[in-house]
Amino acid sequence: MVLSTTVSQRKHIKRKAPRGFLKRVFKRQKPHLRLETSGDLLMHLNCLLFVHRLAEESRTNACENKCGIIKKEHVLAAAKVILKKSRGS
Amino acid sequence: MADSGSPDSEPTTRTLLRRVLDTADPSTPRRPRSARAGAQRALLETPSSRRLSSQTKTTARRRSQRIRSIGKLAHVQASGYLEEQTPRTLLKNILLTAPESSIVMPKSVVKPGPAPQVVQPSSRESSRGSLELQLPELEPPTTLAPGLLAPGRRKQRLRLSVFQEGMDKGLPLSQESRGNADASSLTSSLNLTFATPLQPQSVQRPGLARRPPTRRAVDVGAFLQDLRDTSLALAPPGESLTAPVATLPTDTVLEDTQPFSQPLVGRSPSVHHSLPCPSHSGAEDAERAVSHRTRSTGPRLQNNSPGKPAQLLAGKAEVDALAMNFPNTSSSIFGEVGVEPLQDGVGGEAEERTEKSLSMSKVKEAARARGSARAQEPEGHTQVTEAEGSQGAIETKEPEGSSGDCPTSSRRVSPELASSTPEFLQAKRIQGLEPAPPPSTAVLPSEPLEPLSARLPPRARTPGPKACQNPYKTGLSHYAKLFSFYAKMPMEKKALEMVEKCLDKYFQHLCDDLEMFAAHAGRKTVRPEDLELLMRRQGLVTDQVSLHVLVERHLPLEYRQLLIPCAFSGNSVFPAQ
Repeated sequence: MVLSTTVSQRKHIKRKAPRGFLKRVFKRQKPHLRLETSGDLLMHLNCLLFVHRLAEESRTNACENKCGIIKKEHVLAAAKVILKKSRGS
Repeated sequence: MADSGSPDSEPTTRTLLRRVLDTADPSTPRRPRSARAGAQRALLETPSSRRLSSQTKTTARRRSQRIRSIGKLAHVQASGYLEEQTPRTLLKNILLTAPESSIVMPKSVVKPGPAPQVVQPSSRESSRGSLELQLPELEPPTTLAPGLLAPGRRKQRLRLSVFQEGMDKGLPLSQESRGNADASSLTSSLNLTFATPLQPQSVQRPGLARRPPTRRAVDVGAFLQDLRDTSLALAPPGESLTAPVATLPTDTVLEDTQPFSQPLVGRSPSVHHSLPCPSHSGAEDAERAVSHRTRSTGPRLQNNSPGKPAQLLAGKAEVDALAMNFPNTSSSIFGEVGVEPLQDGVGGEAEERTEKSLSMSKVKEAARARGSARAQEPEGHTQVTEAEGSQGAIETKEPEGSSGDCPTSSRRVSPELASSTPEFLQAKRIQGLEPAPPPSTAVLPSEPLEPLSARLPPRARTPGPKACQNPYKTGLSHYAKLFSFYAKMPMEKKALEMVEKCLDKYFQHLCDDLEMFAAHAGRKTVRPEDLELLMRRQGLVTDQVSLHVLVERHLPLEYRQLLIPCAFSGNSVFPAQ
């Protein structure tokens, strides 16, 4: 799959979707349900967007506290907000 | 209006038709469509009427008629057969399309003497653009309808070529009385007019003329010398079995080679390869090699044939010749080449090598077989019969020609070797051959496998530990890495663990929501529509930002293709909706 060419953090970010992982997670949670083929891709997209929003929020929190690094508190606070936002219902 | 000229003497169908057409009333009383054609005809007829007085009228009429017919044909073609099939049109088409053999108007000789004849060919020539023998009277007619003549010229040229061919072939057309002389004169004139343009090219530019490539007789001596030089460069200077090189016996029977027999096929490359490998010491060597080739092909052929005694004789004769002719290293190497396949292990190796590269094999075999060659020399007489029997078997067995090369080369080889040695060699070779292929094949694949297997274990270790322990954690850590990537800031490790916890919660929420949506839709399968609804409720998908936009932004191409329906050739959409 596509690897990010920009080694911004000296890490290679895989763009590959862990489809097996997602399927397994869904099956574990809801064994009585079935997931379609393209569904897990959209699930992956959803996760990406969630993580993205979470990271943005964490960064904002860290910047507000004028910290150079993201700390646990920042992440926690960000998670509260974003999880609330991400609830479907 | 009747043709008063020469045509009278030739009652061919064509001329008769022409006459009919000429005499018939040109204007058909029929349709308005033909008015155009009639107008054309009228136009053309005016020049013809002018010429009524002169005898040129026949040609003029013919020409006009031809023009008319051409024009009509063009008209017809253009209008798509507007005119119906009248007898006139039919006849005209016939005249147009049929090969004009009589056009040969051979009488149309370009002689200044008989006026009509002169007139006709000259007019024709003028009409065709030939220029040399034009009579002044005929020029005006030619200039009358140059445009119309142009298309006709092509046709006339074609016909002229036909006519010329006919003339050359001496078609027995009418007017032979006049025709012969006329034809000759005409052809000569025509040759003058039409053939000459071709000649001057070569005459004026001799360089352009095609000359047959000068072929020199192959200098065998030089060729052999070159071979020797190359072989000297290649072959190691080992000389064990050298024998005085005698001139090849001229009485050697050089039989015809069967081009498609296997051993021959194998032989020729072997010959070529073996030649450079050993070192030739003299011109006779090369000659001998050449003769060997032919000779061994002969006995080879014989081997293939059912006549075994002949084989033996041929083999013996060959070996005798070899013994006589054998020079030096080359022979020794040959002998070695032949000897080596005899030995069991060696034969197998020889097999291997022949598979890889003939020349290499020859050299190696030569190096190996040196020692064995001498040892094997005294043997053999008893083995002759065996060898004979094995010969056919060998040849039938060997799928490759290279294997055939060995026996042949071996045969060639030994000068000192007794006559039976080749057969003996072959016999041994059979033994060597059968065990050879399996070990060789076993050896060959094992070699490439070993290095690969050595490389594989280190590769498998790297992704091992984490994945095996906790696949769930691995998936989460994957998203955690993405988090740190999106954040673009250094993070604590505790923060990352926090992220993983959040992700866990998120997944739970996700599955619950999807289940709810699927149940709301009365399904037990979660579909992409559920996902889209979820994203809409999350605020990710809005009226301004559609799902496809998000897909294109964040997912790689391969997933995009799977998710977004796209039209492909053949009226197909993938993925199907």
